[in-house]
Amino acid sequence: MNIPRGELLRSRVVDDPGAALAAALDRRLTGYAVFEPQDALLLGDETRGVVTFEDGVPVLAYCTETDRGGAGALADVAGPGPYSVELYELDRTALAEAHEADDLRVSPGLPAERLGTDRDLVTRTREAAPDDRLGTDDTDAVEAFLADESQIEAIREQARNEARSRAEEWGLTDALDD
Amino acid sequence: MVEAFAVASGKGGTGKTTSTLALGMALAEDHDVTVVDADTGMANLLFHTGLDDVAVTLHDLLVEEDGAAPTDAVYERFGMKVVPCGTSLAAFQAADPERLRDVVADLAANTDVLLLDSPAALGSKSAVLPVVLADRTVIVLQPTIPALSDGLKVQEYARSYGTETAGTLFNRVRDDEGIDRVAEQADRYFGGETLGVIPESDAARAARQAGEPLLAHAPDVPASAAFREAARRLDVRDGASGDVADRFRSAVVPDQV
Repeated sequence: MNIPRGELLRSRVVDDPGAALAAALDRRLTGYAVFEPQDALLLGDETRGVVTFEDGVPVLAYCTETDRGGAGALADVAGPGPYSVELYELDRTALAEAHEADDLRVSPGLPAERLGTDRDLVTRTREAAPDDRLGTDDTDAVEAFLADESQIEAIREQARNEARSRAEEWGLTDALDD
Repeated sequence: MVEAFAVASGKGGTGKTTSTLALGMALAEDHDVTVVDADTGMANLLFHTGLDDVAVTLHDLLVEEDGAAPTDAVYERFGMKVVPCGTSLAAFQAADPERLRDVVADLAANTDVLLLDSPAALGSKSAVLPVVLADRTVIVLQPTIPALSDGLKVQEYARSYGTETAGTLFNRVRDDEGIDRVAEQADRYFGGETLGVIPESDAARAARQAGEPLLAHAPDVPASAAFREAARRLDVRDGASGDVADRFRSAVVPDQV
């Protein structure tokens, strides 16, 4: 993936890469972020993840070391952190050519889903995304949702508890299965 | 013999009524099928079956002084017995849920397969009643995060009352490529098997407007074929009809709808 160098807006070391995604969203950044996991810093290898944005909403993801794009790139970059993160601003037209690469695209909420810890950020990102970005590539987000077993178990446990307390409220406890 | 299925989804708009009637029509090829609109607060099965101007509906059976017999609200349509529910709020408020239990028990005693089109909600006593009473649930999903998480909730509510999941249906599917991966992952969390993946179909809306079930209106579209295949995969279990009827009669029924 070739992207012209943009103007560096900030450079931080963060525990949660979601913080950088949130910063990009909040300032409606058009440009890109470069994520470098801590182990890459220590080991001196070349693992860097690049996520591009249009108006704060992620468009592409790419991993320099594995040369993979899309959801695969996010998986390659995801780790325990911390990360060194740089945010760059770039003109929309400079990104246009790179953004034609369909195989590198990610659904708007996927980087936040895979890299961040704040579930609100997924929702906020999707809300900020234009409608034409929320089409069939939703599948990535649905897959990520289903892959998160602890989250699914949390939903189920909450529903079980709710069912039991409601049963009590409604006088249906005799019908409960023990 | 009889088995009662609650066709449920935690969320509206998944095409639950379309699915209920499609499964009903497909199952009616081999079984005696009764479809009941158990969504007494937001009935719409009547519109899907051209029964919107009938004199007697489930609501009338639930009002004591009406004196209607259960068979008065049973209509032979499309090879099934169809029990629509009315849409009047006054009738809904006048309905006595104690009678719902008995009415459904009577219907269960005279059929092979009972399909309860269940409310797309879990927030009231009457809304959970179908999943409390049914033997098993068929959960209608869409490959979206809200539909899946609501489907998981319905499953847990049903299981709390000992009602297992017979299988899931992915309805109104647009993304042919991704659905297999999503269905495979979802399979880990839902009981039964994925009964079918039903493509989004304009014919479903046209069928509703024509007041006919999809399988009657457009039997040859891909969605209809997928529903028939789903019905084939649904293994209807033999149960003593008396058991089901007794269970409905003895079920704890809320004081108010």
